[in-house]
Parts: sequence; C-alpha cells; structure tokens
Amino acid sequence: MKTMLLAAVLLAAPAGAEENLTSMLSQDYLQISSNFNGSEITVFGAVENPPERSAGDIVVVVRGPDTLMTVRRKDHIAGMWINSARAKLWLPSYYFIASSEPLGAIASTDTLGRYELGLANLRADMVASDGDGAPYQAALVRAEQRAGLYRENPAGVEMQNTAFRVHVPIPAAVPRGSYNVEVYIFRDGNVVAAQSTPFYVDQAGFERRLYEFAHNKPLYYGVTTVLMGILLGWGSTFFFRRK
Amino acid sequence: MEIYLPIAQMSVHWLIILSMGFVVGFLSGVFGVGGGFLLTPVLIFYGIPPGVAVATTASQIAGVTFSGVLTHWKRDSVDFKMGAVMIASGLVGSAIGVWLFAVLRRMGQAEFAISASYVILLGAVGAIMLNESVRSFAARREGRSGYGKKPGQHHWLHGLPFKIRFRQSRLYISAIPPLVLGLFVGILSAVLGVGGAFVMVPAMIYLLRMPTNVVVGTSMLQVLFVSASSTILHAVDNFTVDVVLALVLTIGGVFGVQYGVRAGAKLRGEELRFLMALLVLAVAAGLFYQLVVRPEDVYSLTAGAP
Repeated sequence: MKTMLLAAVLLAAPAGAEENLTSMLSQDYLQISSNFNGSEITVFGAVENPPERSAGDIVVVVRGPDTLMTVRRKDHIAGMWINSARAKLWLPSYYFIASSEPLGAIASTDTLGRYELGLANLRADMVASDGDGAPYQAALVRAEQRAGLYRENPAGVEMQNTAFRVHVPIPAAVPRGSYNVEVYIFRDGNVVAAQSTPFYVDQAGFERRLYEFAHNKPLYYGVTTVLMGILLGWGSTFFFRRK
Repeated sequence: MEIYLPIAQMSVHWLIILSMGFVVGFLSGVFGVGGGFLLTPVLIFYGIPPGVAVATTASQIAGVTFSGVLTHWKRDSVDFKMGAVMIASGLVGSAIGVWLFAVLRRMGQAEFAISASYVILLGAVGAIMLNESVRSFAARREGRSGYGKKPGQHHWLHGLPFKIRFRQSRLYISAIPPLVLGLFVGILSAVLGVGGAFVMVPAMIYLLRMPTNVVVGTSMLQVLFVSASSTILHAVDNFTVDVVLALVLTIGGVFGVQYGVRAGAKLRGEELRFLMALLVLAVAAGLFYQLVVRPEDVYSLTAGAP
C-alpha cells in the first residue's frame, strides 16, 4: 500500500510540476566491524526549480528492515512480576525521521498516517494475546527509542536555500539488512515530490564470517568454541608455571 | 575500546567483560567453584541477552575448569569411575536442559525461570553453607573438631540396588544417587549456565560420602564434560554461543582463577565458606529483589519470533 503510494507520487510528481528532487547518500554500504561504535550517514539533496523560490517542507525517513518483534507484559502474579501477555509485531528494526518543521505543522494526521511518517503513525501487523495491540506498540516504540533505534528529529533537516542536508545517526546496535531512505517534499500539506534510495548495513569481514560459521556449521562452531576455551585454560597453566 | 559481539549483535566494552571474567575467575579460584552462578546473572545485568549469557558462560566454564582437572589428575585426586557415571547422566541432563531452555524461551518464561531457579538454588545452598560455617566456627571455639555424622554410618541411599565399587573414593554404593545427581547438574548446566559445583560438591560430601580429597577433582571432571556438551548443544539448537564474548571472558577467567587460588590459600576453610555463603546469598537476594519489585517498564521487547 505504502510502496504503491510512493510509486504513484514518484510517477506523478515530475509530470505535475517542473519541480524536481535530487538526493544522495554519503555512503550506500555501512560495515559493522569489531570496533563498531555507531556511525552516521548523511543525506544530501536539493529541490530544483522550486515554485515561489522556497524548497517547501522536507521530511527524510530512514527505515531499517522490518522484523518480527515480541513485546511481553509483566503482571503481578503471586507477589512476583512475571511475563503473562504478549504481542507479536512486524515493525522496522530501525526508524529515523527528520523534518524541517515539526511534523504536525507540515501535514495533517491523515496524510502523515498514509505515509507512516512519525513514530506515532507507524502501522504494524500484529497479534496481541489480549486483544488490544496499541499499548504493546507504544511500549515497543519506547524501548526502541531508549535503544536509539527509533528517533524523531523535528529540526533535523538543515536547509540552505533549496539545498538540504540530514545527519542520520546509526547506533552501535543497528541491525543488519537493507535500509531505505525516503525524502518527501511537502507543500501546503501535500506531497509534491518524493525519492527513495536504499543502503545496506552488514557485518564486515571477520564478524560476518563468525556469524555465518555459527549459523551454517553450528556443531563445528560449538566444538571450536569449547576447544578455544580449553586451550586458553591449558595455556594459562604454562604461563603461570614459568613465572 | 568497544568490541562487537557477532552473535549477541551488540557492542560491549572489552575491558568491562574482561574484568567480569577476571573477578568471577578470581572468586572461583578462592572458593573452588566454577563461578558460572555469578557470571550468568552479571552478564544478564550488563544487558547481554539471557540466552547468550547462559550458553556462553557454559563455554567459559569448560575453559576455566580444564586446567583444574589437569592439576587434580596429576595429584591423583580424580575418581574417574565416579566421574564417568556422572558424566553419562550429566550429558543426558544437559540435552534435556537445552531442550527445556528452548521451550521456556518460546513461552517467554526463560528469564523468569532462570531468575527464580537462581533464587531458590542460591538461597538454599547459601543458607546451608552459612549455617555450616557458623557451626564450625562455634565448634572450633569450644575446642571440638567439626560436627556431623561419622563416616561409615548407614543411610537409606545405601540400600539402593546396582551397587558399584568406586575404588578411588573407597565406596561401594548404588549407581543411582550419582546418576541422579549427574542428571540434575546436567540440567542445571544447560538451563542456568552454571557448572553446578556449588550443588555437586556438597551433595558428594554429605550424600554420597565421598572423601573430600577426590570431591573437587571429580566434580571438575564432570563439570568439564557437561559444560562442553551444553555449549555445543546450545550452539546447535539455539545459536546463542558468542565466541567473541567467550574468548574475552575466558581470558579474564583463567587469569582470575590463578590469582584467586593463591589468595584462597591464605584463608581458612570456615572463613572461606562463610564468605562464600554471604556472596551466594547476596546474589540470591539481588535476583529476588528484581523479581518482586515493580519493573520500570512492565513491557519488555524481544527481537525475533520466540
């Protein structure tokens, strides 16, 4: 649904106006290496031939791969806090939105909802064990905000005439996979142009090989881990004997 | 410097992990236990997912225990026959435990089960140790030497069938108690990420009546095999063993043990057991507090399907 909308805008917008949007990323491939401590990518862009010499309102959304997440609720049972109810939700594993104005000033709630703009407007496929999924989704958003994986920055688009720039923070816990950067131009509360660019996050060389080893050859991986531990334990006895 | 854990998929500070390994290794060197029962809760507290903490601690225990087994073997203080019996049932127990862990994880109760089991086990073992060490303090002050039943006294356990002669332990007892003990410790190892020495050593002394000099070596032998098996099964069934985490923890651990053994030699037995009991009870109290106090957020998030 959303993809179709985006496609429709992409097709319709250039035809409707001379106005044109170009944007690019500082990098389209981000590698997680052993000393990865978070990073940043930059989205650059410009609005060409804007009417009224103003670029309009710009919204930049970065979405990570959708994943199935489980949110559990603890209840007070027999004096202890025990997980009792749960919901499973499909939501992006990373979500960052930056805008030139607070979202509410840019478009109506309906429009924002249609494009899933803003943490309050994410739509999830979900199953909740006690019927109402809304509190679970709100809890998930809270948890992801604490982890730095969900973020809203209502003043995150730096504008200079018709050019703009957005710094996208990538925290250390960023999940691997295919990401999508969507840039929207709003004028009078409507999307007049949009562009979508993918980028990828992956583990680099050694970490990637370990991850693949663990998942493709789990038996050898387990045995190797144990042998490594035993060798270290054995080695340390020689080290201490010499001293 | 931060290091990235490929299986836990998170960054941690290597110095913190190394110190955790060292401190726990040191304590286990001082007290002569594996230290898994401290390491797993500490890792979970630091933010490592419980599944990864349990499985990875098991591999650390195997590494730290190996040199201990070698030392005891040289001193001829390992009962290999008793060890073999308990390893056989321990391996079965560790397979049951890994399966049980996967079931609990799917139900969303793994965390609760781990914490609750820790509270019960550590609370019980800590209380017994505290009681015992206080009584032997008192006994020494009154000039008596120790307390308890005399060896050779009969016990209902001695009436069980399938008797085996364990020459090294100078015992002729039924194979059932060691088998059950091994099985139980195997399950503990897989579900809680502990070696189980803190349960096994008292049980060997007070239930099986093994001579104290072979108890530690034999329990280490069993712990070595069972935690190796738990690690491998967790790696195969749950993909939760993080080799980078294991590496740093083990390096810290093996050095900690060496210094701990030296420090432990300077302390007296009852004092050691008294301090150990306090430590065990403190961990139990901390975990119990987390269970009963209202959590900051009653909702919690787990990535993935389980």
